[in-house]
Amino acid sequence: MDKKTVTTISYLSRLSIDNEKEKKIVQDLDNIIEFVDQLNDADTSNVEPLTNPLEKTAKTRTDQVTAKNLKKELLEIAPSSNDDYFLVPRVVE
Amino acid sequence: MSWETVIGLEIHVQLSTKSKLFSGGSTEFGAESNTHVDLVDMGLPGVLPVANKEAFYKAIRFGLATGAEINQESSFDRKNYFYPDLPKGYQITQMTKPIVEKGSIKIATDEYERVINITRAHLEEDAGKSIHDLFEGKTGVDLNRAGTPLLEIVSEPEISNAKEAVSYFKAIRQLVTFLDICDGNMAQGSMRCDVNVSVRKSGDKELGTRAELKNINSFKFIEKAINYEIDRQIRVIESGESVVQETRLYDSEKNETRSMRSKEEANDYRYFPCPDLLPVVISDKELKDIKDNLPELPEEKEKRYITEIGLEESEAKIISSSKTMANMFEEASSKTDDAKLVAKWLVGDISALLNKDNIDIDESNLTPENFGKLIERISDNTISGKIAKSVLEEVWESGSDVDEIIESKGLVQIQDESLLEEIAKKVVDSNPDQVASYKAGKDKLFGFFVGQVMKETQGKANPKSINEILKNLLN
Repeated sequence: MDKKTVTTISYLSRLSIDNEKEKKIVQDLDNIIEFVDQLNDADTSNVEPLTNPLEKTAKTRTDQVTAKNLKKELLEIAPSSNDDYFLVPRVVE
Repeated sequence: MSWETVIGLEIHVQLSTKSKLFSGGSTEFGAESNTHVDLVDMGLPGVLPVANKEAFYKAIRFGLATGAEINQESSFDRKNYFYPDLPKGYQITQMTKPIVEKGSIKIATDEYERVINITRAHLEEDAGKSIHDLFEGKTGVDLNRAGTPLLEIVSEPEISNAKEAVSYFKAIRQLVTFLDICDGNMAQGSMRCDVNVSVRKSGDKELGTRAELKNINSFKFIEKAINYEIDRQIRVIESGESVVQETRLYDSEKNETRSMRSKEEANDYRYFPCPDLLPVVISDKELKDIKDNLPELPEEKEKRYITEIGLEESEAKIISSSKTMANMFEEASSKTDDAKLVAKWLVGDISALLNKDNIDIDESNLTPENFGKLIERISDNTISGKIAKSVLEEVWESGSDVDEIIESKGLVQIQDESLLEEIAKKVVDSNPDQVASYKAGKDKLFGFFVGQVMKETQGKANPKSINEILKNLLN
C-alpha cells in the first residue's frame, strides 16, 4: 500500500482523505492487508471457490410487475428534482 | 505493410421480461419518466434485490440455441463506478460465474459463411437514462430503465473485419428475436453494441492494443465506426506512435471516433461478489423444460420450408430471415391451401412494398388473416393476379378487408365465358390491321389482343380464359 494507491482508491470511491491522516491510513490499510493475507497460506487447491458464506441458494421471483408508481414521492425525497426528473450537476461526455 | 484486424463484440440484449431483473418495476418502454421505479431500482437503504427467474430462463434459451454450456449455478458480482443514472454506485452483473459460457453462432457475409465463438453471456442490470440537454447546467435522470435485465453477449476476439462484425450482430439479432427473448428493436435501444478493435501486422501472434467503441446501435454505424477505427489505428502505428487502450465514442455525424477521456480514470471497477444475492440454481427439470420448449430456429425453418412445403431455396431464406416474416408466412399459409403462392407474394410484391416504406411486416396494415384471404381469392379464381396487386395496395393503405374491397369495387373476375367471348370478338373486329399481321405470322401480336381484352374488362378477366377464347377466334 502506498500513497498513490490510497489516493486512487479514495478517488474511485469518492471519499476525501485528510492530508494529515493519510500516512496513518496507509499504515492501517497495510496492517489490514497483511492480516488478511495470512489466508493465502492455506492450501485451497482442492476447494471450490465460495461465492457466498451462506451455503444456501437464492429464492427467486416470478416475472410480475408489482411496483406502484411512486414518481411524486421519490422525486420529493431527492436533493434536487423538477416535475419529471432527478437533477444532478451537469455531466457531459 | 499489410495489416490484420481483430474485433470482438459485446452485445447488450434487453431481455423482454415484464418486470426488472431484481425488482417488480415494469420494463415497459416509453413510459412517463420515473414512473416505473421500484425502491430497489432507486437503491434506497434497506432494500434487497430478488432475482427474476424468467430472465434466467431467457438467458438459458440463448445458451442452448448457441450450443453453449449452461451454468446451473450462477452468481452475481458488483461492478463499482459512479454515474448519476446508476443510483446504487454499482451495477449488479455476473463476473465470475456467468449463466452461459462457450457457445458459437454461424454467420454469413455476402461471400462466405463462418462460425464465431461466444466467450460468455451473462445477466446484468441496465442503468437509467441521463438527459443532458434539457436543463440549464443540470443533468436530468430518468430511472425507468434502471434494473431492466440485459444479457451481455461477449464474442471471442476473432472477427476479422467490419462486414463480419455486422453479420455477427445480425445473426445474434435474428436468433434472439426467434427465441422470443428480445424484441430486437434497435431504435429503442433493445440491442446495443460495444466493439473492441485492434490491428496487428499480418502474421503477428500477439494482439495489438485495443480501443473500445461504445454504444453503437445501428448496422450501418457498426461498419463505419470499425472501418474508421481500423484506419486510425494503422495511421497511428505507421507514424511511429502507439495505440492507447481507451474508450472511444463514435460520432455518426462526423464519421469519426473520439477519445472519451472522462471514462479513462474510472476503469478500475473493483468487482466483488454481491453480498445481497445468493447463487441462483436452475434445476435439471427446469433446464429440460426449457430445452423441450425451444422454438424452431431460422435454420430449421429454412430447411422445413424447402423439404416439406416445397419452397425455392431463395424464398425459404428470405422468409426465415426474420421472425415477423416467418410468422406472417406460417399464419397466412394456415388460412389457405396454397403456401407456395403465399411465399411468392411475400418475397415479391410484399417485400417490395416493405422496402419502399422501409418498415417491418408487423408494422404494416397487412394481417395474416387478410393476406391468407387474398391468396384464397386468387386460388379460387375470384380475382386475377393483376387485380390482386391492386387489392394488396388498397389493403396496404387502409387495412380494409380483402373481400370488402373486392365487392365494393366490383373486382370479381368475369366468369361468364360468353361475355368474355363477346368482348374478345369486339376487340378482334375493331383491329383488322393487327389481325391481318397476326395471321401473316407476327405471333407476338397475340399479347396485344390479350392486353386489349384486359383493358376492356378492367383487368377482371381470367387470363387463361382469354387465351383460349382468343386462340379460337384468331386461328
